[in-house]
Amino acid sequence: MASTGKPAPQSGSGNMGAFHDKSKPTEVRLSNLTAAKAISDAIRTSLGPRGMDKMIQTSKGETIITNDGATILKSIQALHPAAKMLVDLSAAQDIEAGDGTTSVVVLAGSLLGAAEKMLEKGMHPTVIADAFMRASVKAVEFLTEISTPLDLNDKASLLRAATTSLNSKIVSQYSSTLAPIAVAAVTKLVTPTSTTVDLRDIRIVKKVGGTIEDTQLIDGVVLNQNVVVAAGGPTRIEKAKIGLIQFQLSAPKPDMDNTVVINDYRQMDKVIKEGRQYLLTICKKIKKANCNVLLIQKSILRDAVDDTSLNFLKRLNILVIKDVERDEIEFLSKSLGCKPIADIDAFTEDKLGYADLVEEVSESGAKVVKITGVKHKGRTVSILAMGSNSLVLEESERSLHDALCVVRCLVKKRALICGGGAPEIHVSRRLFNYAQSLKGMEAYCFQAYADALEVIPTTLAENAGLNPIAIVTELRNRHALGERTAGINVRKGLISNILEEDVVQPLLVSTSAIELSTETVCLLLKIDDYVQAR
Amino acid sequence: MSMNIFGGDATEERAENARLSSFVGAIALGDLVKSTLGPKGMNKILQSASTGDINVTNDGATILKAIQLDNAAAKILVNISKVQDDEVGDGTTSVCVLAAELLREAEKLIAQKIHPQTIVEGYRIASAAALKALEKAAIDNSSDPNKFRQDLFNIARTTLSSKVLSQDKDYFANLAVDAVLRLKGSTDLDHIQIIKKVGGKLTDSYLDEGFILDKIIATNSPKRMENAKILIANTSMDTDKIKIFGARVKVDSTGKLAELERAEREKMKAKVDLIAAHGINVFINRQLIYNYPESLLTEKGIMVIEHADFEGVERLSLVTGGEIVSTFDNPEKVKVGRCELIEEVMIGEDKLIKFSGVAAGEACTVVLRGSTNQMVDEADRSLHDALSVLSQTVKETRVVLGGGCSEMLMSCAVDEEARSVKGKKAIAVEAFGRALRQIPTILADNAGYDSSDLVSQLRAAHFDGQSDAGLDMNEGAVASVKKLGITESYKLKRQVVLSASEAAEMILRVDDILRATPRRREAV
Repeated sequence: MASTGKPAPQSGSGNMGAFHDKSKPTEVRLSNLTAAKAISDAIRTSLGPRGMDKMIQTSKGETIITNDGATILKSIQALHPAAKMLVDLSAAQDIEAGDGTTSVVVLAGSLLGAAEKMLEKGMHPTVIADAFMRASVKAVEFLTEISTPLDLNDKASLLRAATTSLNSKIVSQYSSTLAPIAVAAVTKLVTPTSTTVDLRDIRIVKKVGGTIEDTQLIDGVVLNQNVVVAAGGPTRIEKAKIGLIQFQLSAPKPDMDNTVVINDYRQMDKVIKEGRQYLLTICKKIKKANCNVLLIQKSILRDAVDDTSLNFLKRLNILVIKDVERDEIEFLSKSLGCKPIADIDAFTEDKLGYADLVEEVSESGAKVVKITGVKHKGRTVSILAMGSNSLVLEESERSLHDALCVVRCLVKKRALICGGGAPEIHVSRRLFNYAQSLKGMEAYCFQAYADALEVIPTTLAENAGLNPIAIVTELRNRHALGERTAGINVRKGLISNILEEDVVQPLLVSTSAIELSTETVCLLLKIDDYVQAR
Repeated sequence: MSMNIFGGDATEERAENARLSSFVGAIALGDLVKSTLGPKGMNKILQSASTGDINVTNDGATILKAIQLDNAAAKILVNISKVQDDEVGDGTTSVCVLAAELLREAEKLIAQKIHPQTIVEGYRIASAAALKALEKAAIDNSSDPNKFRQDLFNIARTTLSSKVLSQDKDYFANLAVDAVLRLKGSTDLDHIQIIKKVGGKLTDSYLDEGFILDKIIATNSPKRMENAKILIANTSMDTDKIKIFGARVKVDSTGKLAELERAEREKMKAKVDLIAAHGINVFINRQLIYNYPESLLTEKGIMVIEHADFEGVERLSLVTGGEIVSTFDNPEKVKVGRCELIEEVMIGEDKLIKFSGVAAGEACTVVLRGSTNQMVDEADRSLHDALSVLSQTVKETRVVLGGGCSEMLMSCAVDEEARSVKGKKAIAVEAFGRALRQIPTILADNAGYDSSDLVSQLRAAHFDGQSDAGLDMNEGAVASVKKLGITESYKLKRQVVLSASEAAEMILRVDDILRATPRRREAV
């Protein structure tokens, strides 16, 4: 974008006079609009159930296949400042609602297109920005109006919302598997009073093997790590007492630099013997506390276990899992009801967690450690995601995350609206009518805003290979006749009552998309210069 | 024969050239920022050349700080805008624009062969007259708390209306006034903490009493603590290492190594015992806390927060009244911080720690939300401007009217004064009046209205004695700004006029620019 960038003033005189030029703000604004629209056009085709996927090759040479807007935009290395802001916009929607990351950018692009036309007519950008802001407030009002409140016990509705979200993903044919998982996972964490759900309490463990259909919600905990079987220790323990330790079972190593000085061969024997003795004492202490499953935190300073200690543990019939990350500790201790133990002297029975069964099982070729029947279980959930290769697996995790977010949105704001482009058309129509009660430039801007909202149904139709003009005009007509729930039935390629198709989405996704995109568009509109800074 | 007086690359610009170069530089800078002025002002994108980071702003000081300049006069303008930022916090654009306009007028006068010193003299007379008029127009409502609050609210609204927050200015004005009134007259903005979190919309921002720390409570610690006694420390909680380089121990058996390890643990345990001896139930460390001491502390029922970086511990010490300690030998001498409740709160996707009911009652936190990083950053700058203006107003309680009203008032007073001045100075005084009128002109221009029409209407209104007439930027008409509630701090306006005229004088007096030889750099 060097052409729009202001050359850094080299000398005090001469080129600085160029600021009198009134064409510059227009140029800057146009360049911003063009860049932002380019971004939104790039991901437009991935909107909706018939949206296409993108293949992204990262700088490291990895390949990602996705149709999640936030993921695509994160991987695009946007250079233009305006383009970067749209990337941020999609990330913000990801945080706020978790789904609708594509819609929000498409909407922003369309709003910018509308603004561009008005700028050409000589309207002042701040007037447009102000009017857009007011229009968005109205739009949210209209959306809230057509929403239906939801009871969190109404599992069927939750399921419908999750299915709708999943239908637009690559994994859409598995939505019947994944949607119930997402709903069950979130509802397990919800208390009647909670206003949000911390998704960190839902753990998705990915294993390559099997198909997406093998993905399951585990009543208990699944571990990323495998059982250490080097010394032939047990892989299945019933009535397990689980210890989560933050110290290591290997040769002692103080934090200070040290050397062991050996003078003769007798001493060598002594060193070896003492080393064994040291480990044996620790292992015995562990056994004494009746612990039979050991989870060991990863340490960068020393080995978690060595051959000798593994051997001892095997003889004492203790199952060992190593390389537990430090940030997993909180989740594990919460879900297993145990306390992390940092020192062998503090190893007592009351810190252990109890589970009916700890077992390493083979699930379609992948080995997984499952801990089931946990006593004193915390409010956490584990999901075991499976997939035939890592690309599918990654995408399935992203889709699952989106579905979880959709259900979480319903916890945050307990209301549903219909999908399939119906709400956008409804708001667009209402805004258009409302605009007629206004006067001056504001009325004009409201109409343009209303028009811009139609981009969502248009894109849905386009991506589904339908004739967008025919579909959108029919849709508008049906709404004008009072069919508030008429929407685009992508599967059948016609307009029908979208509620009968069970296409619903959380209110929060739509309102936040409208609010966030308008906010960003207004910020972009108000820019009139581009300054190269240090 | 020509003599080489200066060193190799040193340059000199003389009389006309020097003046021309400083005028051009200063005026160009003024033109650059003037489009950001007022409620309909525009934003600018600042892109960093080195990192590529982008920033969207309409804060004059931020823009000026960021651009690279190679013009002495322009640098003076950047400086006065910085000073304005430090002194009052807002009006950074106005001061720069006014100074540039003064210089633009001066340039015309010099073309008419008026000596710069005469212009300076005229400007002095004019600025004195302007300030007198401003002081006369200032209103002091500090005796009536309700009215004063309304004043503050109006000031905040006026400041915010020219920023990114203009859509939600009522909401944020209330927020800012509440925050500043908590300070009870202190201007120490350190007590107001601003936390930025992307996600949500601007109106999701809120003011929270107490203090929020962007860290997490350690595993296994109690997640909620009432009547907290807090020890804030900066100490290493891994091991007390011997700090002599190359120190190492030599042992002859593994058993002794194990003993050594045990000894290290014992030492740590002793340290933890010392910490616990302070009678605390919350321990906050600037550095990391390792697993072992963490578990020891939690066993004693002490809540542990690790890695609360420098800013965090300093603010904590400020708001909770505790000292930052790094040795624990004298528990009785250490002042322990207190607060009523510590708990985890969720903002967006992140968990943060909230300290409520802290010792310093004035402390509060503003949580800002917005759709993009740029949005949140700009909101932060806008809010900071509003807060600093308000905190200054609490000290200097007089207020004046905004919306171009004060400028027009001063300009009229200056015109009045010009009539009684004898000699060439009078022309300079008139020029000063014209420069002041440029501010409402730019306001109208930025909003896309017919500025010459509006400003002449405004001037006529003022000469008719309608001293509260100003520009209504939403309607594009002259109206009573008093009724519209467009108010600004007296101190801000005074500072703008003072600094701008001083800077203009300073630049005017220059007749020679000497540029030293640039420092040679080694070839890369």
